[in-house]
Amino acid sequence: MTQKRTQENFLWHIRARQVPARALSVVYTFCLGGISFLAFVVLAVTGVLLMFHYQPGYSDGYHSVLNLASVIPYGAVLRNLHYWAGQIMVITVALHMVRVVWTQSYRPPRELNWVVGVSLLVITIILDFSGYLLRGSQESGAAATVAVHILQLVPGIGVGLAAAFFGHPTALSGSTLMIYVWHCVALPSVAFYLQGYHFWRVRKDGGIKPL
Amino acid sequence: MEDENSVLTRRNLLRIGWVSIIASGLLSLWPLSQYLTSSEDSLQSDIITLKISPLIGNQWYHIENTRVWLKRAGQGYAAILATCTHLGCEVAYNSSQQKWFCPCHGSVYNAEGTPIAGPAPRDLARVAVKAVNDTLIVNIGKVVGMDRQIL
Ligand code: FES
Repeated sequence: MTQKRTQENFLWHIRARQVPARALSVVYTFCLGGISFLAFVVLAVTGVLLMFHYQPGYSDGYHSVLNLASVIPYGAVLRNLHYWAGQIMVITVALHMVRVVWTQSYRPPRELNWVVGVSLLVITIILDFSGYLLRGSQESGAAATVAVHILQLVPGIGVGLAAAFFGHPTALSGSTLMIYVWHCVALPSVAFYLQGYHFWRVRKDGGIKPL
Repeated sequence: MEDENSVLTRRNLLRIGWVSIIASGLLSLWPLSQYLTSSEDSLQSDIITLKISPLIGNQWYHIENTRVWLKRAGQGYAAILATCTHLGCEVAYNSSQQKWFCPCHGSVYNAEGTPIAGPAPRDLARVAVKAVNDTLIVNIGKVVGMDRQIL
């Protein structure tokens, strides 16, 4: 690998030149960050595919999910992959945080990456929750109603914040265009860039084995 | 570093990995094209046509693959949509009890489609039906009143 190539390609750039031997042990990380990223990739691919048949909206949301799960060829596979990858990601991200605390990897020089990681945890949870709302079922309507009311409690900006994030879900369906855009475009893009930065900082701060 | 006698060297393992990634990618092309070209969820025509059959009598008769039920009424025919007016589940007519039952939240309608129990707020919708020679034409997009059901 020439020096030039190293500089040109981000993928080469992110591969560590040296790794501490201790960090090469699987038990040190349990690959939890890597599994989370893998789940994110699965979610992105299946999510884009689901968008071809999903329609947000008061009654369209629920019916398009029913269509996907029942009559559209391979729709059920994609929907279930998306669902389970989402569940797994929430769990592995949380366990990843526990591991980082356990190995004390939040300490200097890694404080910044800890903050980035916690932001990613919050985004992951919001993504998971908004996905639950987009199913458009009655439970999702109830969940959306609770969330809207909690958010509205924020003094001053709460009402505006709730309108901007949730739109106007009804008690019978949480599927709105607002949540759809946040769930499919805005939050995943932020998560994607933060993850790139997170991985790059891992290298910068001393490195860990790639999955 | 590598053990010369081992069949599964690091290089071979990585090669197997790549080949299986490419193979599964190729294998998913057909399912993907099926998924992307499916029109199962697109709107279908509102017009349903069928031959007049002696099965359509004084009891509601279900037309396969639709939510339309037909019966003879007066000189003509009546068509009703078996969509619950509560949250849209498909209701079914029980001819021995002469009632419509909704499986979702227990709405019950009488034979004419008027709710008698459960959360349903309105009558089942009647839609336009017309007999032309030996064919019945049902327009499920055109909701009509109880009195104008016979065309
Ligand atoms: S949908 Fe029929 S009772 Fe609720």
